Amino acid sequence: MKRSIRGQAAIIGVGMSQVGKVPGKSALYLAADATKKAIQNAGIDKSEIDGVLTGMAFSSPFHRFSIALSEYLNIQPRFSNTLQVSGATTAASVNIAAAAVMGGLADTVLIAGGDSLLTGMSPDMSLRSMSESRDQQYEMPFGIPVANTFAMTAARHMKEYGTTAEHLAQVAVCHRNHAIQTPGAQMKTPITVDDVLNSKMVTTPYHKLDCSLISDGGAALIVTSAERARELDVEPIYILGGGEYYSHEHIFLAPSIVDTGAAHSSQKAYEMAGITPSELDVAGIYDCFTGTVIMMLEDLGFCKKGEGGPFVADGNITHGGTLPINTHGGLLSYAHTGISGALLHFVEMVNQLRGECGDRQVPDAKLSMVHTLGAGFATQASTVLGTKETL
Amino acid sequence: MSHSPFDTSKPLPVADGDSAEFWKALNEGVFLLQHCEDCGDVQYYQQAMCRICLSENVSRKPSSGKGVIYSYSVVHRAPGPAFKADVPYAVLLVQLDEGPKMISRLVESDLSLVDFDLPVEWVGVEVAEGVTLPCFRFAKS
Ligand SMILES: [Zn+2]
Repeated sequence: MKRSIRGQAAIIGVGMSQVGKVPGKSALYLAADATKKAIQNAGIDKSEIDGVLTGMAFSSPFHRFSIALSEYLNIQPRFSNTLQVSGATTAASVNIAAAAVMGGLADTVLIAGGDSLLTGMSPDMSLRSMSESRDQQYEMPFGIPVANTFAMTAARHMKEYGTTAEHLAQVAVCHRNHAIQTPGAQMKTPITVDDVLNSKMVTTPYHKLDCSLISDGGAALIVTSAERARELDVEPIYILGGGEYYSHEHIFLAPSIVDTGAAHSSQKAYEMAGITPSELDVAGIYDCFTGTVIMMLEDLGFCKKGEGGPFVADGNITHGGTLPINTHGGLLSYAHTGISGALLHFVEMVNQLRGECGDRQVPDAKLSMVHTLGAGFATQASTVLGTKETL
Repeated sequence: MSHSPFDTSKPLPVADGDSAEFWKALNEGVFLLQHCEDCGDVQYYQQAMCRICLSENVSRKPSSGKGVIYSYSVVHRAPGPAFKADVPYAVLLVQLDEGPKMISRLVESDLSLVDFDLPVEWVGVEVAEGVTLPCFRFAKS
């Protein structure tokens, strides 16, 4: 029998701090504030948490962020780790939490993160800290910002498939429209394709408005066993499948810069969940840059390779389209709180599946996935989520 | 050696056991690649074993220094203060004639002409005392 985490664990609580510009709050506070809200949302006591997973935080000095956060909350977990697979950390954390619960390493796992990228450090510091995640010998000395690795993949995609700057801009416009519908989003001013194309060039082909935000904020999820979840007075959102893929460390050793490992991580997650991508009602897709979204729509199986641009242009990724994504506004327009940024996608997808999204609710959403990635497509992690009807 | 478009406060490569010989040779004007004597794979990223067959029977040979631009991005917003004076500049993903790809930077060339598939040739740029980076310019031929 194929081993699987399908339906073994569920997200029972979600929480977020205020996001955007939140001055005077530490990364630990922001993560702890989100945790308090997630505990409340789950209707449990913090004493039930016996597992804690986090990523690192750029504005925090703690290498063992998960341990520092546990201390901050006076929790003594029996299972903990500070994971580091860049942007992929969040879906990886959810998959690992489900496996840990299933394997008996923990009963109830807190997954949390927070960072103070906007006000806790200068813009130069945050850019520098992100670019320093590139190789010290073969990449950094050439002056390669983190955006640059993603920019080179988008540039090549444009050359090979005819993806245009307007296609990229449409991704930004769609995310902004979603953020405008979402209380608490960092960016609320409407934008047009022309606004994106006329915004300052950062690194070709990416303009400022093709790039995700720099934000303060935190988010948290609580994962427990399916049995425990059913005892609680909340609607559990089940973890139906998980998959990861790590294809390279250095961008120049990527097997391909237009076909990414997301195809592999998502395939594994879909197989475990027993679904095809066309069955999904709504999705959270890591949107560090506009071109990233276009490439992921292809590699995650929502359209054919090379057709991501037209797929976006035809209105498929918003309400009424084939697959509304990032209905909160994503990293591009809701907030990008660093490693924890994609926890916001999880919060939104859980809220969608619970039918709690108000004006931006995708009708009858039962099945969702979140795909997270990082380090110039080096790291990929996917998670399929569903309501009890999908079990 | 060309005049450096960089300044000394920039991050400099710190050689390790895998790469010391590579950086030393660059400083002497030689750009080395590693050739696996067992499976024939050629690698740019210096490591003491072949990443394909894991053989340690790997030898260093000078690269032709020729390749094409596989992809590129022109940086307008510098990654930190050290690169502010340099913008705009093109970061290149070069495909070497020997096979491997590498990250580098376009130098001594008209930035407005940078494009995919353009032939380029390597040029050593001394960025600090005793530290030379393998950069590229449009091929002269
Ligand atoms: Zn070999």
